[in-house]
Amino acid sequence: MSRQGLGRARRRAGLLMVAPALLHALIWIGIPLVAAVVLSFTSYDVLTPPRFVGLANFQDLLGDQVFRRAVLNTSVYTFFTVPVAMGIALLIALMLNTKLAGRAIFRTAIFIPQVTATIAVALVWLWIYDPRSGLANAILSFLGLDGPAWLSSTTWAMPAVIVVGIWQGIGLKMLIYLAALQSLPTDLYEAASVDGASKVRQFFSLTVPLLRPATFFVFVTSVIGAFQSFDQVYILTDGGPANSTTMMTYEIYKSAFREFRMGYACAQSLVLFAMLLILTLVNRRITGGDRGTR
Amino acid sequence: MAPVDTVRRARRRQVRPGRVALYLTLAAISLVMIVPFVWMLLTSVKTPGDIAAVPPRLFPTKWAFGNYVDALRAAPFATYARNSFVIAISHTLLNVVIASMAGYALARLRFRGSSLIFLGFVGALMIPTYTKILPEFLIVRFMPLFGGNDITGQGGTGWLDTWWALIIPGAVSPFSVFLFRQFYLDLPVELEEAARLDGLGELGIYARIMTPLVKPAFITVALLTFESSWNNFLWPLLVTKSDSLRVIQVGLSVFRTENDTQWAFLMAGTTLATVPMVVLFLIGQRYFVQGFATAGIK
Repeated sequence: MSRQGLGRARRRAGLLMVAPALLHALIWIGIPLVAAVVLSFTSYDVLTPPRFVGLANFQDLLGDQVFRRAVLNTSVYTFFTVPVAMGIALLIALMLNTKLAGRAIFRTAIFIPQVTATIAVALVWLWIYDPRSGLANAILSFLGLDGPAWLSSTTWAMPAVIVVGIWQGIGLKMLIYLAALQSLPTDLYEAASVDGASKVRQFFSLTVPLLRPATFFVFVTSVIGAFQSFDQVYILTDGGPANSTTMMTYEIYKSAFREFRMGYACAQSLVLFAMLLILTLVNRRITGGDRGTR
Repeated sequence: MAPVDTVRRARRRQVRPGRVALYLTLAAISLVMIVPFVWMLLTSVKTPGDIAAVPPRLFPTKWAFGNYVDALRAAPFATYARNSFVIAISHTLLNVVIASMAGYALARLRFRGSSLIFLGFVGALMIPTYTKILPEFLIVRFMPLFGGNDITGQGGTGWLDTWWALIIPGAVSPFSVFLFRQFYLDLPVELEEAARLDGLGELGIYARIMTPLVKPAFITVALLTFESSWNNFLWPLLVTKSDSLRVIQVGLSVFRTENDTQWAFLMAGTTLATVPMVVLFLIGQRYFVQGFATAGIK
């Protein structure tokens, strides 16, 4: 076979091999994305054909107090779960990055909530937060304190949901930090020790900058994850009490599948998309992005 | 090297307070992470009397292992579990085959548009589930010529309440394609060229030469796919109605009604839904950890 023939065979094989995945992505990602944009300009209840309404959905969104609350709640939830869990995860990763007996056991214990379904996890926490017979208030009363009715209190429901979010999210962040720590160049640290740099100094001048790509990755994926959390709110609070824990995803779900306002739900989901996009770009700017990663 | 070793050994012999504090801290953190699961297990074998006790007791006064039998009788958990397994295994197989081919092609076989296609897959990673989920639901609902639908997708229910809806949309994830590409990129070119000189076709090179070398990638993607499929909640909730197609995560909610939650049964069911993932994690831990870490670093 000629050289050109070989190249053509290779190109044809490549196209053939990528075709099934590409077709799948076009149908289940490409079309839905376009459809979401188109539908956001319509009023659509599934039963009757969509009706073009221009920017009406977006105008309604601006005046929607509940959705505004959902945006606020989502931001609060993300603000507390992501940085707090990242800090704790980094601390644990630093602790586990020393030579320790039983390291695998600690790692497993911390990581297991991550592989467990959020639904199962939320059901257990529902029970823990039970005001009368739950674990949380039992511990508080042991300490002589009166625990609140966690999930039915407008003050405490959000913190309760946040605690579950932090608890479940630590494992993966810890693991990525641990992997990053283990791939750090040891000779730099040896040189720093020889130069008399203290451990604290080494941490801030070496470890933190070297962990920047990992931090960028953990931050972006965690924010995307936090913005899209749905399961725990669905089980724990149903968005209540008085919308104090409703999230953007929960409002999208409600508009679409309880009120059958598909067009409105699409507009809401585009707001979610836009917010994530902006956050990612801003973060890329601030942290210098994923330079240094492949 | 030798003096350093001696110093280290000498150090190890003394009990250092820092060391003890480290162990205690880690043990405390691990305990916090594990307690909800212990609580779940213990609750699943309590009698209603023990569950209602105020203040709650950690251990049951009477071990009610019969809760599991009763829970299995109260709801078709065996069916839910079977459905979850069928879906998770289908997703795993389809993902591994289709995504690995795509990942290989994008990593090793340059063709016109390949970098554009790769960019497309990376971009797809950024799209929130909730932006896609509604139109995906509509595609399923209006799938032409299925479930009584005519060629324009009107008149019936399409793929709603069918295996198609549960399996096909999740058959390939862009994340798997992305991960596979990263794994295939690292293989040496010489291997590929030698195989080509021996007259092996491109598909043969992929299937018989290169793929056996990235076995860890396959285990990683398989585990990750199985995990997300097994734990998926909203999509199966949306597209199924009948009990015979419910998955285990959705099925759990049968014990939770407006007025009364049957905690013992609920926790027994939750345990049943949790155990397979925990076992799988313990078996595949090394790959799981590696896979998550690779996804993070690369």
